[in-house]
Amino acid sequence: MGELSKGISVGCVNNRVYARVVGRGTFQNSQPLRQFALEKIDQGQGQFIIDLGPCQGMDSTFLGMLAGIGLRLRQNGPTASIHIVNINARNMDLLQTLGLDRLFLINADAPAFPSDAEYHQLPDTDITQLKHPLNKDETADLMIEAHDNLARIDQRNTPRFKELARFLRETVERRHPNGKEKK
Amino acid sequence: MKDFRIDHESRGPVQLIRLVGSLDMYSFPRLESQLNALFQQGRYSLVLDCRDLDYIGSAGLGALIGFAKQAREHNGDLRLLNVPERIYKIIELLGFTKVLQVHQTEDDAVGSFQAK
Repeated sequence: MGELSKGISVGCVNNRVYARVVGRGTFQNSQPLRQFALEKIDQGQGQFIIDLGPCQGMDSTFLGMLAGIGLRLRQNGPTASIHIVNINARNMDLLQTLGLDRLFLINADAPAFPSDAEYHQLPDTDITQLKHPLNKDETADLMIEAHDNLARIDQRNTPRFKELARFLRETVERRHPNGKEKK
Repeated sequence: MKDFRIDHESRGPVQLIRLVGSLDMYSFPRLESQLNALFQQGRYSLVLDCRDLDYIGSAGLGALIGFAKQAREHNGDLRLLNVPERIYKIIELLGFTKVLQVHQTEDDAVGSFQAK
């Protein structure tokens, strides 16, 4: 892999899916990774290795999105898993605070990133240079789902994010009263 | 990445809180403690100066709404000042500008409490 540019790079080698987060993981670049991961799971991939070495930090939406991938993988049996590798103390603290260390395998016998693999950067994942505006409804839905995931993992997360969750739900309800179709 | 720092000073009855660095899940508890301490002292008129804020996470913004609600219950408020454009885009996208007042100048932000 060449110079690390900010964003999320992914690759697949030997039935393993690799993702590397450079810069921040936030609600602004969660959707592309979520979509990519779910496609891979649908294709039968069960081993995800996420390199957080160059990751400066993650917000709760990004962590909740990762939790969603972990929960989805859990449905595929005990061999399906997310390995988190190269995590720094600050990000580790976040995972532990939210109870996600119980869902992910952390630095646990994870294979190193194969250097011969071909990686590509998921589009629009460098949050310092987003090319397309985010869709308000999609973003709100993503954030609600992510925080629901966090609450499923650890009940202590419910009060932690209650104001955000309530606000997002009220915002969606205001935009689409009675569940009217979203644009 | 700058270390997160909070500077606080009073402008009459209004508390001006300058945030420096990144307000994320890691640093937010420090702001939370500061705001709770001010509430315990009965100070509910708060302005958060975001001029030197590099980043704010979604959960942090959500929590600020909770603090704004608490402040309003005591005839105060929590208002934002000098929000950098990249952060303003985020809070606007998420709809937070509908519930959190954003001001361009310190005089405007502080004066908005006196105009109540």
